[in-house]
Amino acid sequence: MGQLRLLLQVAFRNLFTSKINILIGGIIFFGTLLVVVGGALLDSIDGAMSRSIIGSVAGHIQVYSDESKDELSLYGGMSGEPDLTVLADFSRVRPVLEKHPNVKTVVPMGTSSALITSGNTVDLTLARLRDLYKKRTEQGESAALKESIDSVKAHVRQIVALMEKQRANSKVVLTDAAVDPMEVEALARARTDEFWNSFDADPFASLEFLENRIAPQLPDGDLLELRYVGTDLDTFQRTFDRMEIVDGEAVPHGKRGMLVSKFFYENFFKLKTAFRLDTLKQERDLNGKLIATDPQLQRWVKENQTQTREIIFQLDPVKTHQAVERLQKVLGSKESTLDKLLPEFFTTTDENFDTRYQQFYAELAPLLDLYRLRMGDTLTISAFTRTGYVQSVNVKVYGTYQFKGLEKSTMAGLINLMDLMTFRDLYGYLSPDRKAEIAELQKNSGIKPVDRASAEDALFGEDSGNTLVAEAATGIVDDSKAFEGNQGAVYREDQVARVYSQEEIEKGVVLSTAVILKDPTKLEQTMEELKQVGTDAGMKLRAASWQQAAGFIGQFVLLAKLVLYFAVFIIFVVALVIINNAMMMATLQRVREVGTMRAIGAQRSFILSMVLVETVLLGLVFGAGGALVGSGVMTMLGSSGIPANNEALYFFFSGPRLYPTLSASNLIAAFVIVLVVSAISTFYPAFLATRVSPLQAMQTDE
Amino acid sequence: MSLKNLLSAAAVSVALLSAPVALALEPAAMVQILSVIDDRQRNGGDYKAHIYLEQKEKDKTDNVREGFVYRRDADDKLMILFSKPKTEAGKGYLRLDKNLWSYDPNVGKWERRTERERIAGTDSRRADFDESRLAEEFDPSYEGEAKLGKYTAHRLNLKVKPNIDVAYPVVKLWVDKDTNNILKREEYALSGRLMRTALYPRWKKVFSESKGADVWYPEEIRFYDEVEKANSTIVLIKSVDLRALEANLFTKAWLESKSR
Repeated sequence: MGQLRLLLQVAFRNLFTSKINILIGGIIFFGTLLVVVGGALLDSIDGAMSRSIIGSVAGHIQVYSDESKDELSLYGGMSGEPDLTVLADFSRVRPVLEKHPNVKTVVPMGTSSALITSGNTVDLTLARLRDLYKKRTEQGESAALKESIDSVKAHVRQIVALMEKQRANSKVVLTDAAVDPMEVEALARARTDEFWNSFDADPFASLEFLENRIAPQLPDGDLLELRYVGTDLDTFQRTFDRMEIVDGEAVPHGKRGMLVSKFFYENFFKLKTAFRLDTLKQERDLNGKLIATDPQLQRWVKENQTQTREIIFQLDPVKTHQAVERLQKVLGSKESTLDKLLPEFFTTTDENFDTRYQQFYAELAPLLDLYRLRMGDTLTISAFTRTGYVQSVNVKVYGTYQFKGLEKSTMAGLINLMDLMTFRDLYGYLSPDRKAEIAELQKNSGIKPVDRASAEDALFGEDSGNTLVAEAATGIVDDSKAFEGNQGAVYREDQVARVYSQEEIEKGVVLSTAVILKDPTKLEQTMEELKQVGTDAGMKLRAASWQQAAGFIGQFVLLAKLVLYFAVFIIFVVALVIINNAMMMATLQRVREVGTMRAIGAQRSFILSMVLVETVLLGLVFGAGGALVGSGVMTMLGSSGIPANNEALYFFFSGPRLYPTLSASNLIAAFVIVLVVSAISTFYPAFLATRVSPLQAMQTDE
Repeated sequence: MSLKNLLSAAAVSVALLSAPVALALEPAAMVQILSVIDDRQRNGGDYKAHIYLEQKEKDKTDNVREGFVYRRDADDKLMILFSKPKTEAGKGYLRLDKNLWSYDPNVGKWERRTERERIAGTDSRRADFDESRLAEEFDPSYEGEAKLGKYTAHRLNLKVKPNIDVAYPVVKLWVDKDTNNILKREEYALSGRLMRTALYPRWKKVFSESKGADVWYPEEIRFYDEVEKANSTIVLIKSVDLRALEANLFTKAWLESKSR
């Protein structure tokens, strides 16, 4: 005991006397600071990322069929959609999984993607007009209907006038050969009063003329990739409580419908000009960028000046007139055409941007459809099913949604939600009936299978039995009954009105199920047990953790963690070497002191303890200092937060700011690491010190 | 005549004398062959065919359908309408002028498609079902003769004429010397890459009252995708009917009415 006190006294005395000790202390101080701050940040980011993925769609565990060829990848893989075998009946899987004591909720899911195509502005306007005329044919003329028809007709007429004007302008750049006389002729006809006066005599023929001869003269419409999760929307919303409805409403219970992600909605359905203005504002306000200096911002301004057609084509004659008046007032201009006023209005600089932004939303926006898709509209989605058939469905968009904290995250923001019934239609699962029907068709075709490599010999050879001249009987092809029973229109109406029972929703195909656990720390164990539970119930199930299910994003999270841990490891190896060298120097400096102590009776073990205690004390004192400062830094960051100033960081931080927290485990880990590192680096110098003999010490020169 | 000209004349004569026995066809003769091919498949009046389509793809169930092709060659009009399997009934395509419209009764919407549209997701294209317009769309050049099983064929290399939109700009044709029927057709992208091969092993003819002559059609066509090598399509034209069709058949309204 007395010896320990002596050792401590010596250690305290030596703490600040040597410069080398201060150096070592400094290294320990910064090392601890780094471990505390870095460790806590790493843990916080890890926690936030897990929350992002678990809380958006993955849940803790995803269970899917073990017969699947590929691994499940909720965010889509590098090479398209993974090839999964379906779980043919969710209502059988659910009770099996729910029996496990650690399972809280089971949510059915099917993830896939499809393309949405939309025609150009003329196509869309003409489709509207066609619908109105169809309505008139079915329901008869009414004053309101006539007014709508006249308004859309006036709009089409205006678009045709604009198209001709643009054609006249483009003549300057186009050679005569590039101008199709048929197109010119069609446009000229659509400009005549005669055409419009006789429009109603045969409206469908007039429409076909516009659809086939005028609309194709404009460039193609949009093509949009839509990623969706089909799910039981009620259970989904209850389970993933970070989800919130932004615009519109939730899909009513049991109905078909879709919720578009707010992020996706803003990015892809908003009027491009308005979206560019929003982005400009965000870049200026949030990230402090300037139009004057930033080339990307300048590009957006330029695009707003030049790409005004989307706005001009949208306005009917009345609204065009209003827009001109408002812009004249705002700009103090006498210019009377919209295609000159708009570029002037969108010539924005850092000085006038905020005013113009506000004016755009106050004056122009009320005249425009800011979004191509409005809440309550029907979206047509076409998907290539696994079987090669194209399936299209109409689905009503009820609202937009977002995950709290993930508003700006591209990855979470690209996922749209739809009901399971619509998902199943798009997936096109081949029921046994359909399989049998297809097999029957194939059998009746009488086709001989031919190997591709020898196809020419088999089809053209002497033994092929094929001939190039044969007399066909005067054929009668009867198609009168071929399309009977096709109830397209009835089916469409039925889909909109029908309310499905919970049993209908659950009984059917899903691709995977998200499992939420009561105790997430037992994730690995529960995964194993769930597989077993499946096998016991006669189902081949595969379980994937949220990290595996997130596909390449999950891999990325893992990789990011590994890189950070590796960096910390390298820093400690370097620290170890530096401390070791410094201790060597310190020990060599004290050869005389040690020798003298040995001469007056100090045992080797005493010397060893002395050096060790000194370093450990050094570690404790400076380590405590580092930990204290580190805690201070973390408290500061924890209250102010670290801003996520790009979209990827949004995902990693699980929100606009990361508020890191410091746990006791971070502090303990830091202390243990620091003490172990300082102790290890002292062993060799301490051992050298015990080797010093009094004789050696006395021979040493001053 | 200078020595140089004399030499080149000699070189040309040597080349000509040593050429294969089958002499190259004159451009006019080749255009004549194409016109014959086109003309034999054309009907003066209307045309209706019952077809069968089968698409094979790697790791997928076969995509099989039956349907009808309607043509009014005089007005350049075409409609393809599927009837089986039941879920596909009423889906179809309608060609009006340069527009290829696709229609799905389940959504009641029209969409404009391109020449490259894979009809119903198979390796066939609109032009495979439409009136043959080889002479109008392509310029031929001669590549010699070739044996194909028991047949001897002219090999023609066709390049698309300017300002004409076709799915494949370069086509190689094997045309049977005896019957003038197409045996094989290879289609290339502009880059020279082989995209698709088609084989026509069986041809049939049927007498047309309106034309006053025979109308020919390939009873079977096999398409091989040369990009996705595992994909192939078989088209069967099971029977052909040449009676007049309803006057307003080739309209959107008519197609829509099929799903009411």
